[in-house]
Amino acid sequence: MNVRLMNSASRMGRLIGAAALASLLFASVGFAADQEPAPGTAGNTSAPLLAANEPVAPAVAAPQASTVGSGLLAYGDDDIWDENGQIIKKGDHPNMSVADDVAATSDPLEGWNRMWFTFNDKLYFWALKPVATGYSYVIPERPRLWVHNFFHNLLFPVRFTSLMFQAKFDAAAVETSRFIGNTVFGLGGLGDMTSDLKPFHPIGNTEQDMGLTLGYWGMGNGFYLVWPFIGPSTGRDTLGYAGDWFLTPTSYLNPWYWSVAAKSYDKVNEVSLRLGDYETLKDAAVDPYEAVRDAYLRLRFKKLSE
Amino acid sequence: MKKTSLIFGVLVLMLALASPAFAGEAQNRLKIGVDKVLAILSDPSMKGPRKHQEREHKLRAVADSFFDWRELSRRSVGANWTKFTVAQQNEFVGLFSELLEKTYVRKLEKFNNEKIEYLREQVSGDQAFINTQVLMKDKKVPLNYVMIKHRDWMVYDVVIEGVSLVKNYRSQFTKILSRETPDVLMQRIKAKIKALDEGKNVDDAVVK
Repeated sequence: MNVRLMNSASRMGRLIGAAALASLLFASVGFAADQEPAPGTAGNTSAPLLAANEPVAPAVAAPQASTVGSGLLAYGDDDIWDENGQIIKKGDHPNMSVADDVAATSDPLEGWNRMWFTFNDKLYFWALKPVATGYSYVIPERPRLWVHNFFHNLLFPVRFTSLMFQAKFDAAAVETSRFIGNTVFGLGGLGDMTSDLKPFHPIGNTEQDMGLTLGYWGMGNGFYLVWPFIGPSTGRDTLGYAGDWFLTPTSYLNPWYWSVAAKSYDKVNEVSLRLGDYETLKDAAVDPYEAVRDAYLRLRFKKLSE
Repeated sequence: MKKTSLIFGVLVLMLALASPAFAGEAQNRLKIGVDKVLAILSDPSMKGPRKHQEREHKLRAVADSFFDWRELSRRSVGANWTKFTVAQQNEFVGLFSELLEKTYVRKLEKFNNEKIEYLREQVSGDQAFINTQVLMKDKKVPLNYVMIKHRDWMVYDVVIEGVSLVKNYRSQFTKILSRETPDVLMQRIKAKIKALDEGKNVDDAVVK
């Protein structure tokens, strides 16, 4: 009985995964092809959808369609630097960083996305936050950092595979030695023994995942997407997330509810270390959905460009 | 002769070693502001929930003298700024700065003596870009400031982990103003401030 249930559950999971993968590959590749080089096409693809959703303001996207996201340009904008302090090269989009282009990623499913955003918001305030708060009262910060290290160490396959796929072999080697060092000398990854050891030459950011790998090879964001439980994502990052799922050891725990339990515990632990961050963003935002969308897209772009 | 060249050499060496300390005007001014905030936060006589009002008041006074709220508001609204009348612009600057101070001063309260490193300063004309980073318990958070000089150097944008405050608000305001009037936007900010004052949606449980 137990075995049959397990089998059917995993088969179903695989089926859903495959279906989601296939549909998203199709969708996001299509969108990415639209979005990359030609200015205006991205604006045009979203224009009819926007107009359909918002009969009041069809003029929003229409007149600005000639330059991508020119709505982001401020009056008299004279930005000299981008977000990291790099001087913006004058070119197709004067005084507009590449990050601005990325942040203008289309959001054709806005109504749908807003629904799941609200769902995740309630999930956070009604379930995740109370649990994480109680947990952080009981467990001091240091053990929680150990747990954080443990799960981070466990995600080594995600980082290693992504770095290999990005042909960053030296970074992959460093990650491997960190994994071995932390596992052997850090009590199975509880201690981050190797964080102070610097590689001989800079290897860039090793916190990679499959979504960033796809981006590394030039895949565009596609469109913005919010998933229940997972949160903000894009077409590309969803595809990457599916890849990451298969590379995450806790996905293979048997029976399936142990896998869910392990991942939930990881999540609660992470939230307990970041209590208040989301609240600040939400409190300060006039339109929290839009604020999270912008922050997510820019944060991912920053990771991609590192 | 030998002696003078030795003295000269030592002087050159001292200058070379000391040069990181001679940061530009903009960074120095930023550092004064940040240090003032840190002094208030670490002042033992200012600690505790009873001093909350006084502390918030002091922090806001510092913020007012180091942030160019008008520049920040104008850039956050972006191209729609011309849709505002002068009176509306003035009202907006007041409301928006109040919202930012209310929320981010609360965030500062959780500051736990993390170390701040000044990495790089770039100046071009009347603008400056300063890279810093905050050393948190498990990671380094890049925190960049963009400043402008009208009379003094003032901050008009803060970039946390690649997310610009001004641009984040610009995407919100652009969306709202594409459907609503400036007055409606200001109503929404007022409602937000009111909700914050009443303690709604606010994370009161400070867990360290």
